[in-house]
Amino acid sequence: MMESIVDPTLLAEIRRYGHFDVDACFNCGSCAAVCALSKDSALFPRRSMRFAQLGLREPLKRNLDSWLCYYCGDCSTTCPRQTEPGESMMTLRRWLTAQYDWTGLSRRMYLSPGWELGALAAVGGLVAWLISSFHGPMVLDHVEMNTFAPVWTVHTFDMILVVVLSFFLLSNVARMWWFTMVQGGPGWRPLGAYAAELKTLILHSATQLRFGECGKDYGRWIKHWVLATGYVTMFTLIVGFLWWFQTDNIYPLHHPQRWLGYLATAALLYGTVEILVGRLRKGEQLHKFSDLSDWLFPILLLLTTVTGISLHIFRYAGWPQGTYAMYAIHLVVAVPMLAVEVPFGKWAHLTYRPLAIYFQAVKDNVLRRQLREDAAGAGAESGSRQPVQVG
Amino acid sequence: MNDNGDKKVGAALVIGGGIGGMQAALDFAAAGIKAYLIDSAPCIGGGMAQLDKTFPTNDCAMCTMAPRLVEISRHKDIEILTLADLEKVEGRAGNFTVTLRQRPRYVSAEKCTGCGACVIACPLGKLKPPSGPNDKRPKPIPDEYNEGLSCRSAIYIPYPQAVPNIPVIDAAQCLHMKTGKCKLCQKACKADAIVFEQEARTVTLNVGAIVAAPGYKLFDSKLKPEYGYGTLKNVITSLEFERLLSASGPYKGKVLRPSDQAEPKRIAFIQCVGSRDHDRDYCSAVCCMYATKEAILAKEHLGGELSCDVFFMDLRAFSKGFEEYYLRAQKLGVRYIRCRPAAVAQVPGSDNLTITYLTEDEKKLDGEYDLVVLSAGLRPTPSGPRLQEALGLTLDPQGFCATAPFAPTDSGREGVFVAGVFTEPKDVPETVIQASGAVSRALESLSAAKGQLITTKAYPPELDVEGQDPRIGVFVCHCGTNIASVVDVAEVVEYAKRQPGVVHAENVLYACSNDNQDKIKKAVAEHKLNRVLVAACTPRTHEPLFRNTIREAGLNPYLFEMANVRDQCSWVHMHEPVKATRKTKDLVRMGLAKARLIRPLQKKRIAINKDVLVAGGGLAGMTAALSLADQGYAVHLVEKEAEPGGNLRRLRHLLNVDADPQRHLDALIDKVKRHPGITLHAGSRIAEVKGSVGNFATRLSAEGREDVELRHGAAIVATGAQEYKPVEYLYGSSDRVLTQLELEGRLADDWARSAPDTVVMIQCVGSRDESRPYCSRVCCAQAVKNALKIKALSPRTNVYVLFRDVRTYGFREAYYTDARRKGVIFARYDENRKPEVAQADGKLRVKCFEPVSRTDIVILADLVVLSAGTVPAADNKDLAQHLKVPLDQNGFFLEAHMKLRPVDFATDGVFLCGTAHYPKTVEETIAQSQAAAARVATSLAGDTMELEANISQVLEESCDGCAYCVDPCPYKAVTLLEYMSGGAIKKMVEVNESLCKGCGVCQATCPKKGILVRGFTLEQIAAMAEAALQATETPAEAPVEAAADTAGAAA
Repeated sequence: MMESIVDPTLLAEIRRYGHFDVDACFNCGSCAAVCALSKDSALFPRRSMRFAQLGLREPLKRNLDSWLCYYCGDCSTTCPRQTEPGESMMTLRRWLTAQYDWTGLSRRMYLSPGWELGALAAVGGLVAWLISSFHGPMVLDHVEMNTFAPVWTVHTFDMILVVVLSFFLLSNVARMWWFTMVQGGPGWRPLGAYAAELKTLILHSATQLRFGECGKDYGRWIKHWVLATGYVTMFTLIVGFLWWFQTDNIYPLHHPQRWLGYLATAALLYGTVEILVGRLRKGEQLHKFSDLSDWLFPILLLLTTVTGISLHIFRYAGWPQGTYAMYAIHLVVAVPMLAVEVPFGKWAHLTYRPLAIYFQAVKDNVLRRQLREDAAGAGAESGSRQPVQVG
Repeated sequence: MNDNGDKKVGAALVIGGGIGGMQAALDFAAAGIKAYLIDSAPCIGGGMAQLDKTFPTNDCAMCTMAPRLVEISRHKDIEILTLADLEKVEGRAGNFTVTLRQRPRYVSAEKCTGCGACVIACPLGKLKPPSGPNDKRPKPIPDEYNEGLSCRSAIYIPYPQAVPNIPVIDAAQCLHMKTGKCKLCQKACKADAIVFEQEARTVTLNVGAIVAAPGYKLFDSKLKPEYGYGTLKNVITSLEFERLLSASGPYKGKVLRPSDQAEPKRIAFIQCVGSRDHDRDYCSAVCCMYATKEAILAKEHLGGELSCDVFFMDLRAFSKGFEEYYLRAQKLGVRYIRCRPAAVAQVPGSDNLTITYLTEDEKKLDGEYDLVVLSAGLRPTPSGPRLQEALGLTLDPQGFCATAPFAPTDSGREGVFVAGVFTEPKDVPETVIQASGAVSRALESLSAAKGQLITTKAYPPELDVEGQDPRIGVFVCHCGTNIASVVDVAEVVEYAKRQPGVVHAENVLYACSNDNQDKIKKAVAEHKLNRVLVAACTPRTHEPLFRNTIREAGLNPYLFEMANVRDQCSWVHMHEPVKATRKTKDLVRMGLAKARLIRPLQKKRIAINKDVLVAGGGLAGMTAALSLADQGYAVHLVEKEAEPGGNLRRLRHLLNVDADPQRHLDALIDKVKRHPGITLHAGSRIAEVKGSVGNFATRLSAEGREDVELRHGAAIVATGAQEYKPVEYLYGSSDRVLTQLELEGRLADDWARSAPDTVVMIQCVGSRDESRPYCSRVCCAQAVKNALKIKALSPRTNVYVLFRDVRTYGFREAYYTDARRKGVIFARYDENRKPEVAQADGKLRVKCFEPVSRTDIVILADLVVLSAGTVPAADNKDLAQHLKVPLDQNGFFLEAHMKLRPVDFATDGVFLCGTAHYPKTVEETIAQSQAAAARVATSLAGDTMELEANISQVLEESCDGCAYCVDPCPYKAVTLLEYMSGGAIKKMVEVNESLCKGCGVCQATCPKKGILVRGFTLEQIAAMAEAALQATETPAEAPVEAAADTAGAAA
């Protein structure tokens, strides 16, 4: 049995990350009973709430439960004490993001709007300075994007950015793995289980299928999937295939470069506007509370999308000054968004969530094997004591 | 007080005819104050009338309350006003003018005999439930008494035992009221009692005090749509289930589920429906126990196959016998699941239901059930706002009546008192206690007006019938159709006429109706009757009435005999009229056999001493003493310590932070010491008690003083209890381990200067274990109180409370919420894995397995506080022996009846209050102490006391003093005397006439016919037995019937 010293400061610490009302909670279990996703091996939100309430820091840090929640809000509407367990899970995800992040930036940005906005502004400023200092000649009688911003220069910059971001993100992922799978799980040994559950990782990364089961609200899942797929498509197009995407050629409409881009853009536009309208209206349970991080995420993405669309229009309209200016603005918005939000902010869930599902699947897999072995062992034991009559 | 010359009125208004209002009315009337008992329903009885049985004794609710209903219905000093609502109250304490509006019943109370013919005649009672949604026929009227599980007619008697037992017309449903036609009930009524033209009337009453006990309303479970009540057929409320269990319920006590009338095999109970949620932050205090009761009863009804799951959060078995009851339920296989289910869903394609729940060891399971019972909470009465306006009360935000600390029965307006669920959710005994307490408060200011409006009756002188041959008059009652539809009444009358000693026999439609009372009186005079036998309903309800009738005719009331031919014949043999008629003849013949031998008996009157002894000078004793002294009684207050005060001395603050218990205590002691009516015997103990109600003699002994002998008419036991001295958790070996009371002392003195960082409280220390299986009731709220105090004094101190169930019942729940909000952490521990406390590096290391996180949590504490239980006082045994009163298995004093007589002992004249009865809070103690004072006032109302005549008598010539009868006597009324007579020791028993109830146990044990019960002599009983064995008819016709009988029996 695990023994854990209570930490009376934990609750206050978590509370700094957002709404976390466990005061009225008396652990009746109504939340976990109503949750469509919680199951024996991961009974949330009650257990996470209890860890926090009691000040059990290590068990909470080692726990994957809050990543498995997609916040349909059923627990919050059911809670007889109106303690908003759904929002508490959201707050825990922020706290966990900060725990995984070794740089401490995540914690600072979640706890201080100054840090968060400052970081975005600093990176934005850096990008603005880079563009103003290193851009190519501005052809003014017609649009020549690749002269203003040579595609290979930008691509190199992209690659540097990807490497830096990946470094931060992957080192944080490693910490997540260490906490949840080594300290709080089976470690690296069950390689078979890790391999077997890779399919789960791929499936859930690509489809966010679990979202659909959450509260049985398939509408929310489709919207999220459209947005996520739009985002991933656009990111891949721009970062991976920039030479193809940032070109002075104008492709015909049926060309994948055109329609893929349009589809992804439409998805982003629809997804972000939908989120913002929801948060403004506060109609749904999950939109009752909005942290700065909840706002920045869709706002930045929307700005990126809108500047991207403007850039596209200006270029097709053949307005060189506008195109170059919009290109600069687009980067000044998009780069900080990627550099700050993806490894340190709300966008980290893009990585942590599928991984959490994966890790949980590995844990479940190990548990299943264990049970099977136990059963077989018990069978063998009883068999030795009580020989089976043959014939 | 309101003493400026105003005349005090010797009457009181009691609002609400439930069990609380009934208690208040009975107490008022017994104490000499006329009571007006009003109810807005067509009858009194309230919520308890709908209950099947009561926890924790499984006593039948109706069987315990029906005698009270009857007593009230025929009490000369209680006037019942039903269908009445309070409109306005003018004047002031001591002299109120009350205006009521009484809605029409459409049935004349004077003429109606309660036969029920109208109810049968009403066509609306025969309507069938609709066959489908398109069924256009008129829908049957749901029967409120059965919570809509059955139907009733438009003219109806709410329930069989209703008082008054008069039908009422539901004007909103009645065909005649709606269409002007029908009138079938009027045609059926032979008493001509239906008055369609009746109108509402205004009634004005003049009273000196008002007690409001308007009760509660059950939570409307439709407000929790997730549980499906109202949409899923097999989701029902606890009260509906109560009706299913009841023999007077919709299926005559068969537990069948609504959808298909099948017996359920799996029942789930969901607790806290409408309680302990965000909008209703209080605990309804009764649901845990009633669900436990219903589960036990369901198992009794449906057998061991039945599974009962109770979904709960904290099982609040906090009162006397409750924890044991809870353990018993678990032994019987009732499963308690610590989870609040989020929803109830229907199993597709069936009427069964599923509930998804968590087990405490973190498993998520689905349970399928045939029936789901919602334990609906108690909500304030909807009449609250009207009463607030009329009476000038204050309602709390929930709508319950607010009371001040230390004044649990005061409404805030002088002369107006409150009781029952109106002030806080509570169970029957608490309600009864508070009602008596309210009466005591009223009596304090009305003592001068006692007896002012009490009716006295003048009777003609008694005729001397001694030595006369029996001249018996027989009256056989039709009871409307109750008897006459089964029994051939005329044949019985003819049969009676042929019996020896009978000089007159006739049949009457209703023997109990006013005109027939006159008929009986006339017959006594006309036929010079010296015995009267009535063959009718039951002596249980009607014997006193007929005794009174013949007394009015000049006969001794004991010259009456009754044959029970309805309850014990026509009702049980409804389908065998021939045999029922023969049995009626048998019963009449037996009654006559006894009647020939009965003799006039005289009731003795004895003078009584009106002084009162109160044992115990704590909060309970002092409160009771002051209330009695204010009522004009001389009180001897006996305290074993040198100073009064008791355990209250150690309480430094209350849950309600504004009230200072020490100030209240000092004021109380001051009042006690200065009151001219109270003699304080401090440092004294009771050494001996002799005598009985009205005439006790008690010897007090005190160190260094001579013994004092006191004479008193009644006694109150208020000797308190004490805090358990723990032997566990390092108590005594570490000065950092305290009890809650010790912590209170520290909190009051110098906490803030050296506040510890971390405090751990451990609940149930010395309670709920093998040696003390009971719950000490107050410790959970005490822990919450002290935790809140710590948070108020030193907010940085971390407070952990390790509990088994948080039993903050009633309004204490809000403080539990508040404590959580202030950051107090509550963690559960299991009784099989108790916390461990160890010394570790200058701290206390508290380890505890926390079931939800499945973690052994370790808390490094600076202070460990033990919620030590309450244990009975060590000298309870001695006092119990002196007073001849019993103790329960835990060593607390045992009251006469757990539900309805919570401050009485079975021994008359001795009463009980405070923690001597069971652990309880300050306010509960005050209420019970006031109640004890009221109960004393009822037993010492007059200067003399009338003793029952129908009791035991020792026959000196036959008794040889073998003393066989002494021990079996349940009232301890028989004692053995030894005296010298003619140079030899003579032994003989003696009966204390004020203790004897005439039960007859002594007569049954006596081998020498040396003791008898006057109205049930062996001779009389033998005559009845002989008559029972006689053939019914002349030998010529008897064999035929006997043969038929045998055949019938064989078949």
